[in-house]
Amino acid sequence: MPSHGDLDRQIAHLMECKPLAEAEVKTLCDQARAILVEEWNVQPVKCPVTVCGDIHGQFYDLIELFRIGGNAPDTNYLFMGDYVDRGYYSVETVTLLVALKVRYRDRITILRGNHESRQITQVYGFYDECLRKYGNANVWKYFTDLFDYLPLTALIESQIFCLHGGLSPSLDTLDNIRALDRIQEVPHEGPMCDLLWSDPDDRCGWGISPRGAGYTFGQDIATQFNHTNGLTLISRAHQLVMEGYNWCQEKNVVTVFSAPNYCYRCGNMAAILEIGENMDQNFLQFDPAPRQIEPDTTRKTPDYFL
Amino acid sequence: MEVMVDEKDLKAAGAEPLPDDRRGLRIHGWEIESHKGSILKSSTLQEWEEKLETTHLPEMVFGESCLVLKHVKTGAKIHFNALDALGGWKQEGLPPVEVPAAAQWKFRRYLLVGLMLICSKPFQQVILDYDYTFTTPYCGSETIEMDAEKHENGEILDRTSSLHWEDCEEQIDMVALASKEPILFFDEVVLYEDELADNGVSLLTVKVRVMPSCWFLLLRFWLRVDGVLIRLRDTRMRCVFDDSANPVILRESCWRESTFQALSARGHPTDSAAYSDPSIISQRLPVVMHRTQKLQVSGNL
Repeated sequence: MPSHGDLDRQIAHLMECKPLAEAEVKTLCDQARAILVEEWNVQPVKCPVTVCGDIHGQFYDLIELFRIGGNAPDTNYLFMGDYVDRGYYSVETVTLLVALKVRYRDRITILRGNHESRQITQVYGFYDECLRKYGNANVWKYFTDLFDYLPLTALIESQIFCLHGGLSPSLDTLDNIRALDRIQEVPHEGPMCDLLWSDPDDRCGWGISPRGAGYTFGQDIATQFNHTNGLTLISRAHQLVMEGYNWCQEKNVVTVFSAPNYCYRCGNMAAILEIGENMDQNFLQFDPAPRQIEPDTTRKTPDYFL
Repeated sequence: MEVMVDEKDLKAAGAEPLPDDRRGLRIHGWEIESHKGSILKSSTLQEWEEKLETTHLPEMVFGESCLVLKHVKTGAKIHFNALDALGGWKQEGLPPVEVPAAAQWKFRRYLLVGLMLICSKPFQQVILDYDYTFTTPYCGSETIEMDAEKHENGEILDRTSSLHWEDCEEQIDMVALASKEPILFFDEVVLYEDELADNGVSLLTVKVRVMPSCWFLLLRFWLRVDGVLIRLRDTRMRCVFDDSANPVILRESCWRESTFQALSARGHPTDSAAYSDPSIISQRLPVVMHRTQKLQVSGNL
């Protein structure tokens, strides 16, 4: 087992946006799995902690997030999933977060997002990026196998319930969630899928997306869930919001999104939610990292489109 | 995506860049300008929802982004913006398209409803029925806009009746467009985009290029519902510079559409990765609508 020295060296290396060698990733994922398998579907978290939403491979913006929110482990972090896909640096981003988890297991919590899945990463970038950076799919396999072990939700001081997507009509209580068998690929439907995919909506009750798949939950549902489980707030990610965070459903639900200028062109701000020692809440908004050297922003030759 | 433009080419074509930080140029009596902004703020998003009488808009609406082509002398203005395009979506109101997982979901819903009945728990489920693909028949907006001086002279204008597209037989000369004359201005503006909750893509963009002999643009609605449907609605416009007082704009709309099932039946691949670039695969999709129209720009005031 590598010493802290090895891990510290790897973290320093990753902080410069340099990927680790394939063998190092394998070891790291093995270590992370041993830690995550011990965690709960509803992982208890203590305050103070800073809650973050989607990152989507925007590595330099993650570094900006640490600059704004404080470095790990000086600040405790809870990430609500979607580390990979869309951005240019999914490999570096997810490796760094997993390395921090292994190094500071009690100070970093990383939940599963709907993009932490084999199927989704094959369509939205992480798989291709692994092939491009390593020449084979091994690293993709190590990570997606690890994703199966990520906790689905977290609970800060028995009050703030954190997860990637939202509620499920099959899950009324936290104990219902604790009873799920989570160590598997995200299914196409069912309660585990709902936790990672569903969205709050203006409409009361359960809404079924016109796609025929996916739930929305109304304010009545969120209020009831919080009441039943003695919660003050549901904190979730999953949806892009211009201001980086968005209160809804009479402050029963908040959306936090931490990828500024999403996909390098939306112009949105990012936000993180600081939960203080007395459970006080403070949002920090931030803009994209000043240094953005993205592979695609070089000057183009004129496009003779027809 | 800056394109290097040779100053000499601009001068030789009689064009000049727009002043200050504006993106675009003046050429042969036209002022062509693009503007790119961020996605809508939450408060503006709410205003748009009220205006459009909907509770669902695309995840990314670039509300301030636009492309404007204005014929200065007549005040005729062709422009492209997300609000008008979404107005078209709302009006067309296509029925929803189900994704492949929908069958499994239906089965579970029956189970859930049954379970709730047994437990005699209230269980309210509503099937939302808006067109989540944001398919729009939009092919651009046009108005007559007079400059400030003329307003001061007390002229009253009728904005709606002045510009009129007429069906025609003429087609856009694609051969002429294939010639590599210098591009004096190029831009691509995204009007709205939605990732369909990772079930594909819905994207409305407009691209423009201005050459010494003409301007040409392509407004493209591109939809891919993974495993289900591909839809491509292109509108092309071209205006040849001839320095007449009343230039003519040709507009060609071509809509193509196919299910993945039909593609597979004709031996084409059915994985989504094979359908990431609409320009490459458009020929595989059968044409469902084709129309050519002409607009004679005239002052008419």
